Amino acid sequence: MEIKKFLLILTTSLIFNIQISLADDAKMIKGLEIFNETAACAACHILKAAGSEGNIGPNLDTVEGLNYDSVMDIVTHGLGVMPAFGEDEILSKDEIDIVSFYVANSVGK
Amino acid sequence: MNKNKTKLNLNRRNFLTGTATLAGIAATASVVPITIANANHSEGKKGLPDFISWKDRDALIVHSDKGIETHRSAIGESLVTPNRNIYIRNNMPTMTDAQIGDRKKWKVSIEGVKNPQTFTLAQLQKLGHETMATILQCSGNGRGFFEHKPRGSQWKTGAAACVLWTGVPMKTVVDACGGISGGAVYMTSEGVDHVPTGLDPKKAMIARSVPKKVFKDAMLAWEMNGVPLPNAHGGPLRMVTPGYFGINNVKHLGKVAFTVEQSSVKYMKKSYRISPIGKKGSQYPSCWEMPVKSWITRPTDETGTVKAGKVQIVGVAMGGTKKVRSVKVSVDGGSSWKKAKFIGPNLGKFAWRQFVLETTLSAGSYNIASLASNGADKQPELRMENRRGYAHNGWKDHSVNITVV
Repeated sequence: MEIKKFLLILTTSLIFNIQISLADDAKMIKGLEIFNETAACAACHILKAAGSEGNIGPNLDTVEGLNYDSVMDIVTHGLGVMPAFGEDEILSKDEIDIVSFYVANSVGK
Repeated sequence: MNKNKTKLNLNRRNFLTGTATLAGIAATASVVPITIANANHSEGKKGLPDFISWKDRDALIVHSDKGIETHRSAIGESLVTPNRNIYIRNNMPTMTDAQIGDRKKWKVSIEGVKNPQTFTLAQLQKLGHETMATILQCSGNGRGFFEHKPRGSQWKTGAAACVLWTGVPMKTVVDACGGISGGAVYMTSEGVDHVPTGLDPKKAMIARSVPKKVFKDAMLAWEMNGVPLPNAHGGPLRMVTPGYFGINNVKHLGKVAFTVEQSSVKYMKKSYRISPIGKKGSQYPSCWEMPVKSWITRPTDETGTVKAGKVQIVGVAMGGTKKVRSVKVSVDGGSSWKKAKFIGPNLGKFAWRQFVLETTLSAGSYNIASLASNGADKQPELRMENRRGYAHNGWKDHSVNITVV
């Protein structure tokens, strides 16, 4: 009984992990699309992982302490010439979540 | 994951156009040519971007390739900050030699005067010649001390420098144009560094209006600390507005106009406004006059532990738009203060003064602070909380903790 229970937990957790992993991969693919196409972050920023070479804002691979929260904050509210993609409803909340996840997991790669 | 499927097709050059959602970015037609986009951007061999590969990497803290700070101990102990140590904060990409062309033929137009004119740099250099010292300081210098973590580079003390500028006084230029037209309230300086980007000038142009009176102190500068103004610092010609925050010292200067209204571009109307946390808008004060400020440059946690005995506590103090009158130093976190001595030459009220306090410290931990006064104002203990983390001159955050052994 204990073994069955163990196996059930093991199977469940494996499936769960795979789902998470698939979800993350999907987010990365979608995030790249938003970065390069939908939001055109690529027009203004270098991000090696995305193959982008824009030179208006900072090179994202060089930004100190960049993480999901800081990307989401700046994408939402903008800064200087960078549009407020959230406040001005250029991107949806889901899109901001996805592109922030993508950038945070792509810098320096 | 196959990145190539969605990797950018650089030849399409359409990512700023053709997408309805991008109307807000820049309603301009063309995208930055890739040759220009790459010009400044590959990492230099010393970890600095190419456009400032001539700087001293060891003197600098790299927040990003466009936000580079001077170490607290590297702002120059001989009053003037060496160019290779000076911070970088550029809202637009630095213009390249190719974009600038023949420096002597660089043009600046003067408007809002009785006889509007356009001068080349060569003509300005015949018009007048002067040298002055001012402090260049980013509005957000000290942002890194704010607890609410405002967006932007997390500067501590090093987005500041004391610089010798050579150029022509703005007053000389105004006189050559027959004086200022009636009704003008502001002096508005416009850069042209947004032009190569193709972005919408309303959103990307660096235009800054300051009170008209500033023209009496201002300079159109072509030289910085004895060398032609580097492109990274706004060459070949830059507005210098003594006592005013860095953003008003417009780089790559293309126009100066005496105007009735403030410029309507984003960088004037919306950005650089000192508003309460959670609020924003053009009704709040612009980043104009710098407040009185000082900080310790040695010893610091960067300069290593200090040996017990006689210690020279060194720093810089500025009065903002007024002459700095005095500096006091505390080694016990502000419980008691001693007057420090100004040293070195006095380069005028817009430069900073070096100060030193010689004292004797025994083994232990110390919090060292400095407190400057310009007669009318003195540094507050605490920062003035504001949304974007501007204009920080509180002495407590700027203090240093050292260990004496």
